[in-house]
Amino acid sequence: MKTSLKRELRDHGATVVGIAGLRGYLSGEIAHLDRAVSIGVDRKLNEDTLALLVKLQKRTVRFLKARGHRTLAIPPDSDRKKGTFISQLYSLFNHKMAATSAGLGWIGKNGLLISPDHGPRLSLATVLTDAQLTPDRPMAHSLCGGCTLCIEHCPSGAITGADWSRSQPFVEMVRLADCRSHKMNKRKTEGKPNCGLCINICPYGRQNGSNLRHG
Amino acid sequence: MATEEKKKELLEKLRNAVIQYDEDTAKEAANEALAVGLEANDAIFNGLVSGMVEVGKMFEAQEYFVPELLMCADALYAGLDILKPHVQQLDLGVKGSVVIGTVEGDVHDIGKNIVKMMFDVAGFTVYDLGRDVPLDKFVQEQLRTDSDLVCLSAMMTTTMTGMKKVIDDLRAKNPNVKIMIGGAPVSQDVADKYGADGYAKDATNALKDAINMIESLKKMKDEVEAKKAK
Repeated sequence: MKTSLKRELRDHGATVVGIAGLRGYLSGEIAHLDRAVSIGVDRKLNEDTLALLVKLQKRTVRFLKARGHRTLAIPPDSDRKKGTFISQLYSLFNHKMAATSAGLGWIGKNGLLISPDHGPRLSLATVLTDAQLTPDRPMAHSLCGGCTLCIEHCPSGAITGADWSRSQPFVEMVRLADCRSHKMNKRKTEGKPNCGLCINICPYGRQNGSNLRHG
Repeated sequence: MATEEKKKELLEKLRNAVIQYDEDTAKEAANEALAVGLEANDAIFNGLVSGMVEVGKMFEAQEYFVPELLMCADALYAGLDILKPHVQQLDLGVKGSVVIGTVEGDVHDIGKNIVKMMFDVAGFTVYDLGRDVPLDKFVQEQLRTDSDLVCLSAMMTTTMTGMKKVIDDLRAKNPNVKIMIGGAPVSQDVADKYGADGYAKDATNALKDAINMIESLKKMKDEVEAKKAK
């Protein structure tokens, strides 16, 4: 079932798909849904990334429900309808945790999911389920090594330089207040809060240059 | 007009959409129901609500947990939003208005929202004060809206005690108003001790009790008026 689900999602545009085993890591309300299907789509300046992710997520839900399993779709962060009942539970779970647990990548110094092949350029969605899919091997620690490009290029000096590891999940990696205030300033001066230098500068997933963007 | 068979099929589709927490199908079925001329009332009560009643049972039997319950409620609302504008007249024998909220200090409003949904569905006018509501606000709002019913919810034993004060204040201002309480720490004992008219262990029971209460309240009013007339 795992293989056919993965194949179906890839056939329909998913860049990467992984299965996370989360038994013992979830809060009580969602503890019975202890597998996560983590779906990543390479943004590549693609405006339809969000629509594609939502479609893939629905496809996953249909696939699992048709086989008699429960699902809880956690939508991409930028597609969260407020005011629904279920939206109250979204904050209990985070896409990056699913992605690292499913072995799709690690958390880089810039606080983002880094995929070995696609760098920090994946947008994520997650479907929690009780279907007992075999989990992929989780990522244990960071592969950023000695690279400090994102630290050097961060305009707000928000990146602490700490290395992520699964065994120490509560280390501060990005000073969020600094990052946020920088983006708010950008909003004032440029109309948009965009920054993204730590994404553009990351050497992972940039080998062929096709993803290279200049901030 | 749709055939009986088609009707039955659509009601079943609405019901299953709620049980299967499938918003898209709920919307689709609601639109189909309107297209074939199924009465909105029928679609709501024998389709959507019938599904939600089943969900309530599954929740009680611990087949469904909180996430499923919430997604089912979202599916119900997805269908309801489409059907509600087409409701001719909801005839439950009673029409009422209700003030509802989670008491001061308490931010848990999942249960309250589900109860609110049942009132919405039943065609009550609902004044939702939200959560962490200052105790005085319940009394003010009841007086402002002249609602038949006030529903108080609390999730924690520490905030539950605030209900007593609201009940006392409401009684002092308006002895006729009916008061219902609910929430995890609440029991029939607590309801009796605090002087509430009703306690409901879940949303379906809350609605049934509320309808009974409002009926008795209206009867009481009628009797008083009948006496006056003599």
